[in-house]
Amino acid sequence: MTTERTARLSRLDRVAIGAIAVALGFAFLTPPEVTQGNVARLFYVHVPTVLVAYLAYTLTLVASVAYLMTKRLFWDHLAVAGAEVGVVFTATTIGLGMLWAKPTWGVYWTWSARLTLTAIMLFIYIGYLTLRRAGGDPAATATRASIYGIVSAFQIPIVHFSVLWWRDVHQLATVFRPDEMQIDTILFVAFLAGLIAYAVAGAALVRRRFLLAQLEQAVYDAVGKASTPVAGAGVAPPALERAAHGAVRP
Amino acid sequence: MRRFWPQAAAIAARDLHREWRSGEILWVTVPFGAIALLLIPLAVGADTQRLRAIGPGLFWVVVMLFGVLIAARRTATETTEQRDLVALLGVDPAADFSGRAMASGAFLIGFEVVVGLVAVVLYDIDLSLWPWLIVVLPVAATGLALLGTLTSSIAASVQAGPALIPFLVAPLSVPLLLGATQALDGIQPSGGILAWVLLMVTVDVVLAVAGIVTARPLQETH
Repeated sequence: MTTERTARLSRLDRVAIGAIAVALGFAFLTPPEVTQGNVARLFYVHVPTVLVAYLAYTLTLVASVAYLMTKRLFWDHLAVAGAEVGVVFTATTIGLGMLWAKPTWGVYWTWSARLTLTAIMLFIYIGYLTLRRAGGDPAATATRASIYGIVSAFQIPIVHFSVLWWRDVHQLATVFRPDEMQIDTILFVAFLAGLIAYAVAGAALVRRRFLLAQLEQAVYDAVGKASTPVAGAGVAPPALERAAHGAVRP
Repeated sequence: MRRFWPQAAAIAARDLHREWRSGEILWVTVPFGAIALLLIPLAVGADTQRLRAIGPGLFWVVVMLFGVLIAARRTATETTEQRDLVALLGVDPAADFSGRAMASGAFLIGFEVVVGLVAVVLYDIDLSLWPWLIVVLPVAATGLALLGTLTSSIAASVQAGPALIPFLVAPLSVPLLLGATQALDGIQPSGGILAWVLLMVTVDVVLAVAGIVTARPLQETH
């Protein structure tokens, strides 16, 4: 049943594709930004994707806490889905930011605090995914990853507020700022369309990765569990028993 | 709770004793860090003014990257059987975590002092307001020790654990690196230091709580 659900496009997938098409339409139909021109259109993807990445990492945090409290693998599957989607969206944000920076600042990379810390955040969650890939019993992997996921989440507020703490070339927040919003209405509509579209796309990807995690669990239950030693590595079966199984000659 | 601190102290004493016998940090990691400080000017140029300006930052980068090796060494050397034995002896996992973090913290403070002296000599770093270092060095060492101990507990039973730990620790040490470097900048008369020390102390407290709370669930994964 889960295999069938992952094989075909769901209603959410279709909504996500449609919403992205609409958002891209808005991004190309709005007038160019006064000072930056057409290159500013990248922001209709750049800003929403980083916000969706924050949401995805928050999902990983919440699911990690829930896993440690309940020990239900459902939450762990949600946590890995959030982390993977967060990594994809963070990489997209950084890539688009670099494309924007070259014509604007003259370089692909600048040592902006937010840029650097966003890249570090990407590596933290790549580390999270690498830790998961190290293998072992799913429950143990889930516990390890949950704890690392919670500790990693403390990085997110530091990244977001870094631009306020360290003034540098990176522009201050335009929409989500404590005082009034500094964006024209039509540009804000395009931004909002992008935010909704990429949030729906993020949700669709999280759903698909969650179903995939459940499939991986089903495969482990069917195949992997049988090859896992009952006791730890420090305990070996007695020689006679091993002989009975054909491991050694008596 | 009554047995917590004696157990933590015993674990810390074990790690300190092990280092006393092996001398791994003193004879391997400390010279390795000093060599790194020697190599950097060969790569970036030997301009004394520039090296004086970037010296404190380079010192902290070396401390963070090489400090990971100190905090992670236990994972590389301790076997599953040894971990199981500590658990079977009834040692509280939280006390085990605290003891290992205390020992790592002591090693890291020693590492900071020795490598710091090398950095002062090589880069001619201004130390006119050095008493602040009495606050900054232990706070940074504590954070890195807690982070390294927590991460090595997480990766202890993973096959690729020793290789994985530096990758897991390095990006998470960013708040400590920023706090330490900015605090050193704040030592200059025009700057502020307390906010950065507070950031590092907050990170230390969060890591200590996380390590103690998660010690038992992590022990069950071994």
